[in-house]
Parts: sequence; structure tokens; C-alpha cells
Amino acid sequence: MRDQPGLIDTEDAPRRLVGRRIYYRKLRTAGADRWRRLRYPFTRRTPLLLDSAFNPRTLVAERTIVDKRPLYWLAFFAVLAAAGPLAGDTLLGAATIFGIYAAINVIWLLVIGTAGIFSLATLAVVGTAAYGAAYMSIHAGLPWWGMIAVGPVFGLLFGVVIAIPATRIDGFYYALLTLGLTELCRVYVVQSQALGSATNGLYGADGILPDGASLRAQLVVSYYGAVVLLIAALALFRLVNGQRLGRLLRASPERREAFAQALGVDYRTARIKVFLISSAALGVVGGFYAVNFRGASPSLFSMDSLLLLLAMVVIGGIGRPEGAVLGTAIVVAIDRLLIGLGPLRLILVGLIMIGTVLFLHNGLVGIKQQFRNWRDRKRSEHRAKRDIRGGEYMPEEATEVRDKQLIAFRRFQRGVRESLKPLITDDLIEAHRRAPCGPHDDRLSRVLNYFRRASVVDKYAILAVRPFAEYRLVALSGQRGVPPRLIDDRSFATEEEAIHAVFLRRVQDLLES
Amino acid sequence: MTFDPAYIILTTASLASIYGLLAIGISIIWSSLGMINMAHGFTFAFAGYGAWIAAHTLSASAPAVLLAGIAAGALSGLAIAGVAFIPLYDKPNFPLRSLIATLGISLLGAQALLYVFGPRVKALPRIFGYGRFHLFGIAITADKLGTIICAPVVLLAVLIWARTSRRGLQIRAMMQNPEGAALVGVGLRSTALAVMALTGGLAGLAAVLLSQTYYVSPYSGLTPLLKGMIVALAGGLGSIPGALIAAVCIGFVETLTAVTLGGKFVLITQFLFIIVVLLIRPRGIAGMLEQTRE
Repeated sequence: MRDQPGLIDTEDAPRRLVGRRIYYRKLRTAGADRWRRLRYPFTRRTPLLLDSAFNPRTLVAERTIVDKRPLYWLAFFAVLAAAGPLAGDTLLGAATIFGIYAAINVIWLLVIGTAGIFSLATLAVVGTAAYGAAYMSIHAGLPWWGMIAVGPVFGLLFGVVIAIPATRIDGFYYALLTLGLTELCRVYVVQSQALGSATNGLYGADGILPDGASLRAQLVVSYYGAVVLLIAALALFRLVNGQRLGRLLRASPERREAFAQALGVDYRTARIKVFLISSAALGVVGGFYAVNFRGASPSLFSMDSLLLLLAMVVIGGIGRPEGAVLGTAIVVAIDRLLIGLGPLRLILVGLIMIGTVLFLHNGLVGIKQQFRNWRDRKRSEHRAKRDIRGGEYMPEEATEVRDKQLIAFRRFQRGVRESLKPLITDDLIEAHRRAPCGPHDDRLSRVLNYFRRASVVDKYAILAVRPFAEYRLVALSGQRGVPPRLIDDRSFATEEEAIHAVFLRRVQDLLES
Repeated sequence: MTFDPAYIILTTASLASIYGLLAIGISIIWSSLGMINMAHGFTFAFAGYGAWIAAHTLSASAPAVLLAGIAAGALSGLAIAGVAFIPLYDKPNFPLRSLIATLGISLLGAQALLYVFGPRVKALPRIFGYGRFHLFGIAITADKLGTIICAPVVLLAVLIWARTSRRGLQIRAMMQNPEGAALVGVGLRSTALAVMALTGGLAGLAAVLLSQTYYVSPYSGLTPLLKGMIVALAGGLGSIPGALIAAVCIGFVETLTAVTLGGKFVLITQFLFIIVVLLIRPRGIAGMLEQTRE
């Protein structure tokens, strides 16, 4: 998963193979700074995962930010905070919608990402809460904060309704059931007199600012409300996904329930819990929606809204909050800022959605990993295509050798052999035969120096069976206590002849290598 | 409205015919290709527009309109196979990705129809005429009678074709075991195209038949898609007899609700029905065992 650059050179740490390492920018650090961390108060947890180590080559203390995502989030929040007074009215309205939908998507992620249940009733929960809150505000005079407070109650009620079948029905069956449930809500809302079938929606609920407030003030207040909602949704995601409940859910994805159960995971309770939590949270969003738009409209339940919501999650990538936020930003920007395109907007969204599904494995946030995998595969294919041995190793297996010096050494040896081979001629052999021990010319000296540097293992040697009368060729074992072995039946009368025979054998080995 | 058994039977039969056409399409696609075709509603609407174009440019006669609807549906089915099945079927996480792809097609398709034809609804010519017939003592309109006759005949023809022809054998082999079928030489892509054309044609027929009563609009496929899904789910995805039984049951529930409680409760009672069915049998009335498909 996450690789830790500081640990790369210790023996037991998992290390990336050569050519597949990730580049990390190194920060300078010194002394006790290496150990200093920003920590959440009263805990040992750090917001930013830092790694400090000494560079094995230069011995300089270095710091690496292993996971830069918190920095990106911080920059994103800063932009959001600054956008309120700066952005124009249209942009601010779109940003409010973005905040609301991003909050919905992040909460939805708990169900489709963490729990792995493909529920399509998300907008139905939001819509029910919005309608409930708007209805109570209109008919019971509930103030705006009461609407946000009563939203989760309606959400929870709806959550119970959709959680019960989720314990028994799974996969497509559940997706289609929730889809049908949404349509059922739409038909009911469209036909119901009490829920504003005549006015195409239920309007007239209480807002945060009084009716006389300026448009700009309303826009800014709505915008910051949506931003707070988004941050709260992200915190909830972090809390549920990162803690025990999220672990339980991720341990028991669909079709592996039996395995999880065998480990002692009570997945049914965990699923019901996550449904109730996410439904209550969606209820809050629904309450805010009703406050923000002073009511609710049946378009919340429409198939197109649901498909847009799905497009947001799919384009960003299912399973990661940054994906949900990014996808929402893209789709809302297309939908709200390119109004002039008319129906072409949704066609564009549909095209992006289909393109994402066809070409990307996990939406836009998965692009980095997908690109790395692709690049590694291409590199590996490229290495495998080279058929010349780089030294003793094929290029492909060279990535698996841990001692990189060995590879360099063998590559060097190979270069030396290649440069020596053209030197071997009949003249050279004849010169050696005439004077095996004498002073040699430059070319023969080079060849002999190479032979002398050979490893002791299997090195040729001369055995004096009877000094000055009989010599034979042996090969050293290279192991203490293991005697040399005879390599052939020939025996030589003089030492010079034997030396030349060794020379011939080694020339042969050199030319064959 | 009177509580008349003959009326209930005839209405049930006409609803069940149309639901059956859609549900069998969805069911066959799921069991042979392993994908949920959420773009079936788009096929439905597309076929409606195809029939409308044919009625206005070629001829308004019954065979021409029916054939045009079927051809347009088959064309749309082929297009869906080309986008959502053929590039994806050997990729990881195929079921979810194809589901999303077909949802994308349905989003894109409805908007494209809206863009091309405008929001105004279109009416198809009454291909069965305006006559009224008296059957079992009650009056029945020509379009309903046409539906009751036409849909089962086509469905029966398709089922016989699936039982006897070579291509039908291939489709049935793929429904039983796609890997095994591929091993013994059944072409996955060509069979998929055949399945999608066939089911698209059935949806096109349903579109023409239903458009005798309702209008053709870019979103007209949504309700039929949902009802077809409900029927396919209740019947058990992948089972043709199950889909037929469920179509009759759901049609009966709808008629009964409309007669006793009123039209706006139809979807609610249907949902209660399917939830009860699924809670009792999570794989539908005649659903296949899980390992058969996976």
C-alpha cells in the first residue's frame, strides 16, 4: 500500500523494485526537528504523515511527506473560505449547490463505498427529510434551525425502511429496489395535494435570513451553510470510515459475508448502523436543503437527479471522499455554469460518465495509480523485449536482485570481455605459446590480467604430479577442505606447456561467454 | 368502476403482456450477459420515436409501425451492447461498471431524444383502429385486444425460436454457463449482440403496443423500465417462466388496486408486493441459484 521511503534500505521493510520507485520530494531537516510532529491534541495521531531518515548515500537528514492529501484538503478549504466574498452571484449559487451535493455524495460513500451496498435511495432520503421539514415549517411554524433538527428524524425513519431489506437482499436486487422506492416517492409526491402537487413543490418554509434580506446576503449565508455542511459530512465520513464501524464494514463486502462472519464480524448490525447513521446525516442535509430553497421540489426524486448524483460519484471514483468532491465539482460546474448549452449539458455529463466507466478503473482519483500501473507494465514489457544480457542477468530479473553492486560489477565484466574478444588472434596465441612467462606485449598483458583477476571458484591451476616431468590441469573448488578436481586426462612434460594449455582453455571460455 | 371479473382478467392480460415483453428482455440480458440493462427504458423510448418517424414518413399501417418499432428497438439494443458490453465484459468489476454504463446511456439517451425531438409528446397512429369489441359481456377497445393477441404471439414465437434454433441454443448455453459456452465455441460477442437485438426488439414491440394508450416522450421509458425491473426481480432474474408468472401477478395486483383503491396507489401496492416476495424469496419467485450465474 503506502510505501515508506525512509525504511527503504532496512532489510525487513517491504521495498519497491528498481524502476518502480516513486519520486518523493525531500525536505531538509536537522537535529531534534526530525522528531517533531504536529499532533492532534491529547492523542498521538498526526494530521500529516511525515517520515524522517538519513539519506544512505549523502548521510544528510531528510524529511518526506508520505501523504500529501491533508495539504491538498487544507488548500481546498482555504479556497472555499475565501470564495464567499470574492465569487460572483452565479458562481456562489453553483458553489452552494456543489456544497450540498458534495455533502450528500460523501455521506452516500459510506453506503456504496465503505459498506459496499449499491443503494440508490440516497436522494429519496434527502427528499423525504426536505419535504418533512418544509411541511412542518409551513404547517407548524417550525423555525429554520428546527427544520435542520427535524430533518434527521425523517431521515432516520426512512433509513429504517431501507435498512430492513438490506439485511436480506443484496446486489442488483437491492439497487433496483431502492431505485423503485425513489420512483414511488416521486409518484406519491407528485400526486399528493398536501405536498404541493398543484404548485410543483412545497414552498414557503422558513429561511435563515428574514424575507427582506438582500439577495447577496442570502447567497453568502447559504454558501457558508453549505460549506459547513460539506465539512461536517467529511468529518462524519472520516469518523465512520476510519474507525471500528468502517473496518467492520470493509471486512465484510458483498459475497464475503460468510468469511467475515467466521471472523466474528457482525455484519448485519454494522450495516444497519451505517444505514441509520448515513440516513440521519442525509436527513440533516435534507433539512438544510429545505431551509436553503425555502421548500422542496419533486425533482429531488427524479431519475435524472439520481443519475446526476451517480455520475458525480462515478466520475470522481467510488470509495474516496476526494473523488466524490471532485466529481461533484465537475458535474455541478457543467450543470450550473454552462446553462447556455441546454440539454447538451446532461449529454456531456452522460458522455463523461460513460467514458469514465469505459477507460478508468476507479474514476478520476484512480488515474494516478492506473497510470503508474500502466507505466510499470510498459517499462517491464520494454525491459523484457531487450534480449541482450546486461551482465549475467536478464534485464527483467535484474530488478529482483537486491545487491545492485553485483549487477554493476557483472555489467562491467561483460564490457571487459567484449573489449578483450577482438584481441584474441592466432598471432596472440602463438606469442603466448612461444613465451608463456616472459614479458608480454600490451595486448597479451591485457588478456592475461583479465584471466588473473578471475574468481577462485573453478579457477584453473596446474598440478605438478612429478616436478619437472609431469604436469596436469586441475580446477580449484573454491571451498576450503574440498580438493581441486582433475579436468582432463592430458599430462604435460614441461610447466610452460601446461601454462599454455590453461591459457587455451581460458581463451576458449572467454570466446564462448 | 365495477368489480367485474372479466374486466379484471382482460386488463390483467393486457398489462401482463407488456410487462412480460419488458421483463423477459431484462431477465434474458441479465442471465446471458451478466449485466443489468438500465438503458432498457431508453430502448423503449427510442423505439417509440422510431415507430413515430416510420408512421410519418413511410406508412401508418400496422405492420409498418410495428416493424419500425421492433427494428428501432433492436438497433438501440445493438448500440447498447456496443457501448456497455463489448468493451467492458472482460474488464474487472464488470457488473457494476456495465450497470453504470447503461445508466449513463439512459441519461444521455433521454437527453439526446429531448434535444432532437423536443419536449412535446408524440402520438402514434392507432394501428389497431378505433373499434370496440364485446367479449365475455364487456366492451374492450381494439388496442387492448391487439396487445393481448400480439404480445403473447410474438413472445411464443421467440420462445419457440430459442428452443429450436442454433442461435437460441447458444443463448441458452450462455445463460447456463457463459464460460463453458465460450469454451465450446459459442462466440460471446456475437451472441451478446443477438441477445441485445432480440430483447431490444421485444422492448420495441412493447413500446409500440403501449404507445397505443400513452404518448411517446423522451422519458416515456422510465415507468416501463421500472415496472419491467419489478417484474423481472419478482420473477427472479434469469428465469423466463418466473418472469411470466410475475408479470401476471403484478398485472393482477395493478388491476385490482386500480379497481378497488384507485390509480395512484398502483405503484405502492406493487412495491409492497415485490418487497414481500423478495423478503420471502430473496432471489424472486423462480430465481436461479447464485452459483449458476457466478
